[in-house]
Amino acid sequence: MVTPDLVSEEDIAKLIIPDDLPDEQPTFKAYVEAKVYDKEGHLIQYHRQPMRSLTQYFLALMAIPIIGTYQGASINQAPGILTNVLGLPSSEGTCYSTNISWDWAIQLGSGTQNFSLTLTGLAAPILNGTGTGELAYGSLSVSYVGSTILISLQVSNTTSSAISVTEIGLTGTIYIQYCNGGISKYNFLFSYDTFSTAISVPALGMAIFQITLSFTG
Amino acid sequence: MMVGKGIEDIDISMPRDAYDIGKDTPTFRAYLTIIVRDSEGKVVKVHRQRSHSPTANFIGLMLPLTYFNVTGNSYTIKTTGGSTYNYKPAINVNTPCISYPNSANNYPSYIVMIQVGSGQQSNPYTAYSLAAPIANGTGPGQLVYGRPSVPPNITVSGSKAYFTISQSFNNNSGGTVTITEVGIVTQIAFGASYSTGAAFSGNVLVWYDVLSSPISVPNGGSVTIYYTFTVNP
Repeated sequence: MVTPDLVSEEDIAKLIIPDDLPDEQPTFKAYVEAKVYDKEGHLIQYHRQPMRSLTQYFLALMAIPIIGTYQGASINQAPGILTNVLGLPSSEGTCYSTNISWDWAIQLGSGTQNFSLTLTGLAAPILNGTGTGELAYGSLSVSYVGSTILISLQVSNTTSSAISVTEIGLTGTIYIQYCNGGISKYNFLFSYDTFSTAISVPALGMAIFQITLSFTG
Repeated sequence: MMVGKGIEDIDISMPRDAYDIGKDTPTFRAYLTIIVRDSEGKVVKVHRQRSHSPTANFIGLMLPLTYFNVTGNSYTIKTTGGSTYNYKPAINVNTPCISYPNSANNYPSYIVMIQVGSGQQSNPYTAYSLAAPIANGTGPGQLVYGRPSVPPNITVSGSKAYFTISQSFNNNSGGTVTITEVGIVTQIAFGASYSTGAAFSGNVLVWYDVLSSPISVPNGGSVTIYYTFTVNP
């Protein structure tokens, strides 16, 4: 494309605003998946749908490997995206060494809500437990195949009633570790999706929920 | 949907929209915008394409602690120079993780540059350097690299959010310089929080794209490259 009359910053700004480019393959595909088993271990429901909704916190987390954690080689402050979006400290002034790491988890819920880039939680989180309406959350599993990251959670319903799961979120915690052993934690909701059909985990049954993030080209 | 006991081929119950038919609404996209100017500052070319390719380094740096804790594995990060580091972060003052600003500023992690090159490679995922990097300079085939620009915030527009990093390059080489590949190079330093030294530090290619068509930068002209990353486009 040749546009010799394009000179203003406004024109350039319009160009870099994301909009679709037809006939090109997507960069990123994401899915939410659920497999439900009855109390005898038989698969009774399988559900898979595209993930729709990443929050701005996921975008900011993605920025860390791209832009780093410093503004520059000699600028001892975190980039604005980390401080303004994630609320991380600009700099730890008392420690001679500090580092950052993060972890993810899957949260299930029984409510629904409209998506917002700044959502911080599910509408009605299902608690981890064995009480009425609760699911026993097993350990999280994370693996990768090439540029695809898979996050899986197994839950058990130890109650005497079926439990309906209508929403799912990828949650996470960012840890800032300090030289004195102190740790600051920052919690986020990285994605939020409602299931197109509710996932019913039967009494004494179990389910495996999986989020697939595929950075495929 | 309910399916009976003993069903082994679960594909028969897979919802239609679960199949990859290339028409999904993606939740994340990345774009490359390249603007070329001649020696008088007039825009002579605008190039736009999807950006396709986080590298293996990017995937490793994105992995959460659970992956390392549960598997016990490390992830090999490879620098543009080919040296490697077995990354295995943990919540432990003696375990190296990505550095964060502190009073000593002894091992920063920061974006070094958008790097341009004149080669290409077929598997961007495994790329750890550009195939043929264009050197920073005024010699034949070289470009004068500006500094990368990073916005202080994410831009929100409706349900989508994005940020754009950019960098300009001047061509004072005396001839046309052609760009065929682009990547993002970030200095990543790993250090334990109870240590003043870095366990490892190096330039790491985290994103790489081969351009869908070559970009020619005329002598005396310039080129600006914009990488835009967006969710819910």
